[in-house]
Amino acid sequence: MGVGRSARGRGGAASGVLLALAAALLAAGSASEYDYVSFQSDIGSYQSGRFYTKPPQCVDIPVDLRLCHNVGYKKMVLPNLLEHETMAEVKQQASSWVPLLNKNCHMGTQVFLCSLFAPVCLDRPIYPCRWLCEAVRDSCEPVMQFFGFYWPEMLKCDKFPEGDVCIAMTPPNTTEASKPQGTTVCPPCDNELKSEAIIEHLCASEFALRMKIKEVKKENGDKKIVPKKKKPLKLGPIKKKELKRLVLFLKNGADCPCHQLDNLSHNFLIMGRKVKSQYLLTAIHKWDKKNKEFKNFMKRMKNHECPTFQSVFK
Amino acid sequence: MLKLQGEDEAAQLAPRRARVPVPRPTAPDVSPSSARLGLACLLLLLLLTLPARVDTSWWYIGALGARVICDNIPGLVSRQRQLCQRYPDIMRSVGEGAREWIRECQHQFRHHRWNCTTLDRDHTVFGRAMLRSSREAAFVYAISSAGVVHAITRACSQGELSVCSCDPYTRGRHHDQRGDFDWGGCSDNIHYGVRFAKAFVDAKEKRLKDARALMNLHNNRCGRTAVRRFLKLECKCHGVSGSCTLRTCWRALSDFRRTGDYLRRRYDGAVQVTATQDGANFTAARQGYRHATRTDLVYFDNSPDYCVLDKAAGSLGTAGRVCSKTSKGTDGCEIMCCGRGYDTTRVTRVTQCECKFHWCCAVRCKECRNTVDVHTCKAPKKAEWLDQT
Repeated sequence: MGVGRSARGRGGAASGVLLALAAALLAAGSASEYDYVSFQSDIGSYQSGRFYTKPPQCVDIPVDLRLCHNVGYKKMVLPNLLEHETMAEVKQQASSWVPLLNKNCHMGTQVFLCSLFAPVCLDRPIYPCRWLCEAVRDSCEPVMQFFGFYWPEMLKCDKFPEGDVCIAMTPPNTTEASKPQGTTVCPPCDNELKSEAIIEHLCASEFALRMKIKEVKKENGDKKIVPKKKKPLKLGPIKKKELKRLVLFLKNGADCPCHQLDNLSHNFLIMGRKVKSQYLLTAIHKWDKKNKEFKNFMKRMKNHECPTFQSVFK
Repeated sequence: MLKLQGEDEAAQLAPRRARVPVPRPTAPDVSPSSARLGLACLLLLLLLTLPARVDTSWWYIGALGARVICDNIPGLVSRQRQLCQRYPDIMRSVGEGAREWIRECQHQFRHHRWNCTTLDRDHTVFGRAMLRSSREAAFVYAISSAGVVHAITRACSQGELSVCSCDPYTRGRHHDQRGDFDWGGCSDNIHYGVRFAKAFVDAKEKRLKDARALMNLHNNRCGRTAVRRFLKLECKCHGVSGSCTLRTCWRALSDFRRTGDYLRRRYDGAVQVTATQDGANFTAARQGYRHATRTDLVYFDNSPDYCVLDKAAGSLGTAGRVCSKTSKGTDGCEIMCCGRGYDTTRVTRVTQCECKFHWCCAVRCKECRNTVDVHTCKAPKKAEWLDQT
């Protein structure tokens, strides 16, 4: 093989060989230049983070995406507006919001959350209205705080549009009918006794125990729950030696009613999570083998796999 | 001026002959693992910058299409042709990336007399504008080099290239001011992009030992370094309810616009230099001028004013360019049109406005009509006479 052709001096062909490559390839694609530009701009408007990740696709909302499968439309854009790239990731992150949905803290909660987790398929991304975000946040964050959560960074309302086209179910000037309630039930005690909801709660909680309660007393604005017998169903952050001296707290729950605690002679299903050094109760159910829904839950619990982020992200 | 004329005549006297590829017998099929091992060996040779063998490796004999494309690109030196033929998929990424950096160049100079216009069906892409060792040439060399780094790095992360993938060294646990996190996801492998871009783009300049080659090498390096400046830490908070108690982070390229903005600032502060006597370095062009640093763009020659069509100088002129009647900047009519004045055309544009989202699910808009005045630069009065010069 002889020596390669070498350029002589600074002739017309001498400069910008890379540009020559660009010209050769651009010429081939010139016919579809317009389409390419259009597609590029679509990608650009959809991706706020890693702008060159997988192109957006319109996919069916799966039945097991509990947060959004009955939201009112059937298809969603993936990656979504929270930069979740796979459906497994969407499901994993959305699962912890289902319990909040069941609290009915605001009528627009599902529309708001699903506009981000499962955005509707349109030719451009449409974000939720800022006023909707603020209304949901103001109504729901107090409930979240019972579980030790605060409004997350990814849902900060400042980033959503005010005057631009945006998603909301009702016009902003509609006066919302207030729900008259005599007393607010402790959110961890305000649960629907349905097997599906209990499973969702189990996945969203860090630990779950079957236990009897020795006593309940007030402490620093919380209800302090002292267990008697405990059997772990899901240990999570609890170490085995800690299990003996375990004490649970119903956060900010000193004075709100919790009907499950009226009678301490039963066994209870208790779910919770660890916040700093406290173990907070996130859901409580009477361990009622005779109840049909509870029996269903016990059956399903044995082989139900909660989505885990580690499996999703790798 | 006379020198440029001479070069042009020389080019005409020596017409280019296209190389016709010689057909070769088809080699037996290569098993995937064997090919991958071969590619790994090639990569090792490339990374160690050992002198590569001149002959093409035998498993590429079948890549006639890639060879045809490589052979049809005028001005490739042998090293570049070798890389082109060996890594056709990388070349594809580089070609696709070219659209991006050209668009970025045109964005950065959209309000200027010289606006990075490309010439159709001209293998030099920019015509003679790049022959002059001007500030504009410095910018184009830098942003094109940056564009190659960006395109290859992106293609690595998207899994489009068999020779590279996500950065394999970014693993484990780490921390920043917000706390601990795990490295995960796909960190952009900018090292590979920089290395390949350097090998490919700089190959020609390293064969020529003149001052212009030195300038190009410097500006190319500025472009490559610029992309690295905008590698950012991206994280996902995947604790319960979106909390940041659990985070996974990776390094990601920023949008190429940021690199373009940075290089544009470098262009504004570019340093005029001359080559030293030994030709190995630069010195300030005049007494009192500041010296160039590694991050400065450098150029030798002052730019033309780009006011009128001057093919020898690589200037397309500003006749017909849109300008702003009210602006006092470079996009203002006074500056853009070089004092020649402008024409005004009344244009009615129909746009979508007052868009609203309707549940569920459609976006409906009204149509708005706007009548605006568009100002365009007048042509020089003695255009024909100037063309004859």
